[in-house]
Amino acid sequence: MEFPTIFSITEDEIDLNDLLARITLTSTGAAAIFAGMVRGQTTRDDAHETEFLEYEAYVPMAEAKMKQVSEEIRAKWPVVEGIAIVQRIGKLYPKTPTVLIACTAAHRDTGVFEAARYGIDRLKEIVPIWKKEVSPTGEFWVEGDYIPKAGE
Amino acid sequence: MNQVKLLFFATLRDRAGTKSMELDIPSDLTVQGLKDKISNEYPNLKESMSSVLITINREYAFDDAVIPLNAELAMFPPVSGG
Repeated sequence: MEFPTIFSITEDEIDLNDLLARITLTSTGAAAIFAGMVRGQTTRDDAHETEFLEYEAYVPMAEAKMKQVSEEIRAKWPVVEGIAIVQRIGKLYPKTPTVLIACTAAHRDTGVFEAARYGIDRLKEIVPIWKKEVSPTGEFWVEGDYIPKAGE
Repeated sequence: MNQVKLLFFATLRDRAGTKSMELDIPSDLTVQGLKDKISNEYPNLKESMSSVLITINREYAFDDAVIPLNAELAMFPPVSGG
């Protein structure tokens, strides 16, 4: 049986119920879901307020790299059944979900939590998406610190 | 000569003032050679070349890679999705 894999860059609202339904099989008993959202008030490290974030992506490459992340998840956790990786782009305001990684499996003790964690960590390393932070005091592009290696 | 398309994203796009450009490059030009060419011809981008990521046909590429014919190239900072 073919397990469902969903990966997309979208300007639309992320529909968790729809995604969850599409990665749930009759054999599925557990889903681990990570959602990231725009944080309006940051208190850790450099405390600041965020008015909105503006996301952009190199769409065809980003979708190809999301597919690669899903293949890496399947290689590490063969028990994972469905995978959904979705990034919303455009101008997004505080409290709005921006990214969703969901993995399903038969049971919760199969590594499904770790699989979803791996998915968001890898997205932040190799998937070409950027965000510009706009605050009451100015705007700047957020830059990551991961340098991909050959073959990534 | 090799005609390639070069895309810019995020800070690189702001500094270049454009999303993309067409370039004629020597057929044996490497990624490092491309960085040198961009540094010389576009002073606004010179400072970015030390930390830029470069892709060839949507895969990450490194300094000694030779740019293939009619490639789609992109330059951007380390990613910050999520």
